[in-house]
Amino acid sequence: MFRRAGVLAAMLVLSACGGGGGGGSSPSPTPTPVALTNFAAVTVDQGPPALAVGPNGYIESDVAYVSVTVCAPGSSTNCQTIDHVQVDTGSIGLRIFGSVLNPSLLSALPSETDTSANPVAECYQYVDGYVFGSVRTTDMTIGGEKVANMPFQVLADTGQFASVPRSCSSAGGSNLSTVQAFGSNGIIGIGTTTTDCGVYCASGGQSAAIYYDCPSTGCNAVIARAANASAPFQQLPNPVAAMSVDNNGTILVLPSTPASGQPTLTGTLYFGIGTQSNNGLGSATIYTTSTSSSSNGPGLITAIYNGQTLPNSFLDSGSSLYFFEDGAIPLCTSAGFKGLYCPATTLTLSPVIKGLNGASYTDTFSLYNAETVFNANPSYSVIPGVGANPNIIFPSTAYAGSFDFGLPFFFGRSVYTAIEGRTAGGTVGPYYAF
Amino acid sequence: MWLRSLARNVAGLSVVGLSLVGLSLGASPSPARAALGRAYSSVESDRSVLGATVQSVSAGAYTVHTLALANRGAVKEFTRPDGVVFAVAWRGPGRPDLRQLLGEHFDTVQAEAAATSGRRLGRPLSVNRSDLMVISGGHPGAFWGVAVIPQLQPAGFSASGLK
Repeated sequence: MFRRAGVLAAMLVLSACGGGGGGGSSPSPTPTPVALTNFAAVTVDQGPPALAVGPNGYIESDVAYVSVTVCAPGSSTNCQTIDHVQVDTGSIGLRIFGSVLNPSLLSALPSETDTSANPVAECYQYVDGYVFGSVRTTDMTIGGEKVANMPFQVLADTGQFASVPRSCSSAGGSNLSTVQAFGSNGIIGIGTTTTDCGVYCASGGQSAAIYYDCPSTGCNAVIARAANASAPFQQLPNPVAAMSVDNNGTILVLPSTPASGQPTLTGTLYFGIGTQSNNGLGSATIYTTSTSSSSNGPGLITAIYNGQTLPNSFLDSGSSLYFFEDGAIPLCTSAGFKGLYCPATTLTLSPVIKGLNGASYTDTFSLYNAETVFNANPSYSVIPGVGANPNIIFPSTAYAGSFDFGLPFFFGRSVYTAIEGRTAGGTVGPYYAF
Repeated sequence: MWLRSLARNVAGLSVVGLSLVGLSLGASPSPARAALGRAYSSVESDRSVLGATVQSVSAGAYTVHTLALANRGAVKEFTRPDGVVFAVAWRGPGRPDLRQLLGEHFDTVQAEAAATSGRRLGRPLSVNRSDLMVISGGHPGAFWGVAVIPQLQPAGFSASGLK
């Protein structure tokens, strides 16, 4: 069923692009249909059932999910398809909770080992907390794409990986150690870099990622992991960068949604840019981003909002909201809406998105009252135009210098994310295009 | 010790750069005292724990100590003329050791984070209290944040100075 929806979406993109951008070869008067498999169905829905359980149960919103199949390396039978894996263009790496993996599969997933021949674990930071767990290898399948022996993380793993090192929790925030706390069964980070730490971890340092040596007594010592941009990887790779084909980026295609939101929607995640007849750039404009050698981090573009230039901005399917600073817009007052915008009337905002290459676009969108929109249809998982202010303390400073274009930005668009150092549609990544 | 006396000079001068051999993360036991709300000597503790180099610049009513991290990120510590750290800011690929940088105020940040429930929404760490203000944001690979103790701010200090 998912496959059929994906094929339909693939055809729509093909026609919208007037034949796609895979071209360059000699024209053929009678094109032969090719069964393409470089895509996976995406859903925005209420999330896995575990989210709704208990007194803290909830219905998820504005999180895009795919299904990913993991197999024991070399096996075609010891496999499991994991639904509700979050699609995140703002992070890197495949991470799946150990609690959702069959014990027989988990035990057959070999740990990565370090120079001491001990298993490796990882801490990975998100804006609201961190995850910790073992680094293992799997044969991964997503849509029609396969990657053999790919390092990924088993979140909240047990045994010697059960205890979170102090140097991991010291970065602060919540220990996102359960499916309910995390909001998904796992996450597939498909941002602009090839690995999740890059050169920072090559000398034992850290970025959002910190790798650990894990003897049987537990994980304590921080270790170096090389930044290999192709297999064999020592760090968690961007799963798309690890694919044998269609490995230069992705396109996340989501339909638009009405102002009221809607219960669910389905879209498509394409692998590769300009590599097949269904993933050409078409008329999309390229906005190049910062690289991993930038002091502030990779994947950043500039936004201009209210006359202020915000050089640390980014497009992020893993953010459920627009995050930006505007002290003039009232915040919601209910406890559950802390930090979210609740304007008295719907506002029309027009931030300018500007790539490092100078290309610019004015994104005009409606910012709705978050409390009104969420409460009008509590069961809806697709909510357009809702934002939050990460700076509720110094409202006039634009301290962050950042506009985070979250999943609502992706509704009604095909958003391309090209990987650093990979040529995609004739332009070397990293870039976003839409 | 020699750093502290040097810092006293720094406050009256303009710029000084100190390039020190970095210690690898986690290789040394953590000095007990952390920076926010403490004396200047805690900046040196932080420098050591974070394996950073430090450069101090006077901005008149306060001094900014910029700790350059191995991952190209930076931590800025703001001290009053009497040497007390009244604000700490960070920016870079990873969130730094906030337990070290915020000291006892780290527990307040954690308590606020634990107080939210329901939909995750990915709201960044933040505290809005009369005795502690924290804002933060970003995404994996590009984080930023700042923590301030309002009562310790020197007279005439503006939040725009924290950028």
